[in-house]
Amino acid sequence: MSTSKLNIEGVMLFEQPFARVPYENYRKVFRASQRNVEKELGAVQSAANDLAKRSKARNNSTEDSIKAVDSMITRVENLKRKLSELQSSAGTPTLGVMRERLQHLAAVEDIPSVNEPEFTRWADTRLDRWLVDWALRTGKEKTARMIAEDRGIERLVDIDLFSDVCRIEEGLKRQSCSEALAWCSENKSSLRKLKEYIELARARKNEDAIAYSKKHLLPWQETHLAQIRQAAALLCFPPTTTCGPYKRLYDPARWTTLVQSFRLAVYNLSTLPTEPLLHLAVYAGLASLKLPACYDRHTKNTNCPVCDPNLGELAKEVPYSHHVNSTIVCRLSGKIMDADNMPMAFPNGYVYSKEALEEMALRDDGYVTCPRTGDRCLFSELRKVFIS
Amino acid sequence: MDGPLKELAKLEKLASNASAKGKAPNINDSLDALLHSLREVKDRLQVGSATEDTLSILARTVEGKKKEVDERQKEVYNTLNRLGKTLDKKFSSPLPSYPPLFASPEAVSALERTVALHFLRTGQFNTAEAFIEEVGMDVDAETRGRFVDLHHTLTALRQRDIRAALVWTEQNRDFLRARSSSLEFFLHRSQYINLLLATHPPDVASALSYAKAAFPPFSSTHEQEIRRLMTCVLYLPLARLQASPYADLASPSLHLDLEPMFAKEYCASLGMSRQVPLRVVGDIGGGGALARIEKGRRVMRERKSEWSRTDELPIEIPLPPQNRYHSIFACPVSKEQSTDQNPPMMMTCGHVITKDSLHKLSKNSQRVKCPYCPVESQLAAALRVYF
Ligand SMILES: [Zn+2]
Ligand SMILES: [Zn+2]
Repeated sequence: MSTSKLNIEGVMLFEQPFARVPYENYRKVFRASQRNVEKELGAVQSAANDLAKRSKARNNSTEDSIKAVDSMITRVENLKRKLSELQSSAGTPTLGVMRERLQHLAAVEDIPSVNEPEFTRWADTRLDRWLVDWALRTGKEKTARMIAEDRGIERLVDIDLFSDVCRIEEGLKRQSCSEALAWCSENKSSLRKLKEYIELARARKNEDAIAYSKKHLLPWQETHLAQIRQAAALLCFPPTTTCGPYKRLYDPARWTTLVQSFRLAVYNLSTLPTEPLLHLAVYAGLASLKLPACYDRHTKNTNCPVCDPNLGELAKEVPYSHHVNSTIVCRLSGKIMDADNMPMAFPNGYVYSKEALEEMALRDDGYVTCPRTGDRCLFSELRKVFIS
Repeated sequence: MDGPLKELAKLEKLASNASAKGKAPNINDSLDALLHSLREVKDRLQVGSATEDTLSILARTVEGKKKEVDERQKEVYNTLNRLGKTLDKKFSSPLPSYPPLFASPEAVSALERTVALHFLRTGQFNTAEAFIEEVGMDVDAETRGRFVDLHHTLTALRQRDIRAALVWTEQNRDFLRARSSSLEFFLHRSQYINLLLATHPPDVASALSYAKAAFPPFSSTHEQEIRRLMTCVLYLPLARLQASPYADLASPSLHLDLEPMFAKEYCASLGMSRQVPLRVVGDIGGGGALARIEKGRRVMRERKSEWSRTDELPIEIPLPPQNRYHSIFACPVSKEQSTDQNPPMMMTCGHVITKDSLHKLSKNSQRVKCPYCPVESQLAAALRVYF
């Protein structure tokens, strides 16, 4: 299997939230427009019916009719204005973000190999996006904004989403839940799944609750079940409830859990993972590379990311990579040795690639020197090594 | 991404007020028509030409227009749902959930240092400063200065200005020689070709006088190359050179390759990796490794076998050759990886197996028959090899 071909499935695994966040945002815009239409046109319709009814019964003056029609005109004009404001301030920009992101993902599907310069640029942007996501989740908003602006990727990152979350969390930390409740009611329909689950659980229909959670909440239940329950508990109170009951229900420690639960609910809604994307990528990347050799000073390689002291610290909590076949890497050239570039052993047993040793012999009258031990011998004294 | 893009295009069309391609007219038109009717009724009421029917007709008009609006909204709603379905289809596997990663104070600060160095290494100095301040970490001035130098030199090279790079190579000649690096020669070569090809007609004289001053120190190591550079003058201008046996000297890569080459040597001199480490790790993790690890986890779960996360991955993640940094020796006999206690041993025939396998094959005798060739050799003659 060619390793330079782009693994699209593996790339796309990270991109669901990237596409999903603007989609959910547009659904919100649509729901807002829907609410406006229902409210205003509903009122106009009942006013019109009322007017027709009264005129049939001949119990209204022309003046009253004109007044009624006038207020209908005002309502329709208002609706028109509101809808156009909503479209220009939120609808159109959100569609633009969605288009840009889907096209960004479409672009990577067309890149044939990871060695193309287009992929390098794409991967640079991806790392910038991950760094913004990481900075936002770890409370470094200034850095996040700076990366986004410097790299011109404002439309490819979700700074607003996270500032909203931060604002609401600040509220919760002050033990005020009005911001959080407003958010919950705005996202009522999407949170229904969580709510249904907790209601099943509360009614002690435990089997049903478990079946339900398996169906809808499976990806998270292993690691975050407690928080999911908490999040759902928050939603069981009608949005009109004031904070009083909460204060009695939750002791200070529980407020911290509530903050975390709230965060999880937001992430869940946008299919955002609970961990920063950067963490997931770094975890998998380090695990693919990590070897015992990375922690032995005799075998460290400055080019290896795991051998880097900082990344090596992170790699401590990551499993070692797994290998079935031998790979012999030349310590002189960094190239992999194979039948075309045979491994050659010094009489002392140290092995390097034929290419690198030949080059050395060319410069030194047929002599070669082992860089690790300083042993020197003629090229002709080297022995071919066979790795099957 | 075709499916989602197609549905998005439909949504964009529905959302724009300009076109009315949907089955229902756009909402703006419907509301305008409604306003028009309302104003007409108002006028008729004012001039007294309204009849009993006028208001019942108005009620029907309102109902009709509201229906139009609702239909249009329904179209948007349906398109939005279809778009959601195409996204679900495209992204069928959700990101895995992990217990908090890199949460220890040591890991947090290691990641922050990695990110700070990443900003510096990639020349994002303003972001680096903002980040270092926001996190409140220490990065010494010397480290920062080194990256600023690197970045300035690379920017200059991109504009074919080799001066800063030359200053560095001259200061680090011993280091470069030990690495048998041709960087300094390649810098001069780029400058020489630049002088030859930059002007019309070619200014051969100044290029040759540059060569006379710059190339002699390299006459022993790059003799042939220098001779070619001198001879290629016979094939000017550029168009002729490109069709000549010296076409390689007209290639832009002669200049473009200097940037990565310089970065590699500069970083090596400071004990830094040749590639940007966070990019390397991110590209591997985000290029299929996480997907494979998840698949491995799933398989282990289905087989109900435990996989201890801190130990070793249950599956192999394929890596491109440039990301193999360490030798791995898996014994062809036992399939076990070599260790210090069980090191790789080379028999006199040149085949390598691990020490344990060697002893097993010898069956307590002093001789061992190679399983891969007909040669039988002395056990004591086997040589421990170091990769
Ligand atoms: Zn390593
Ligand atoms: Zn053999």
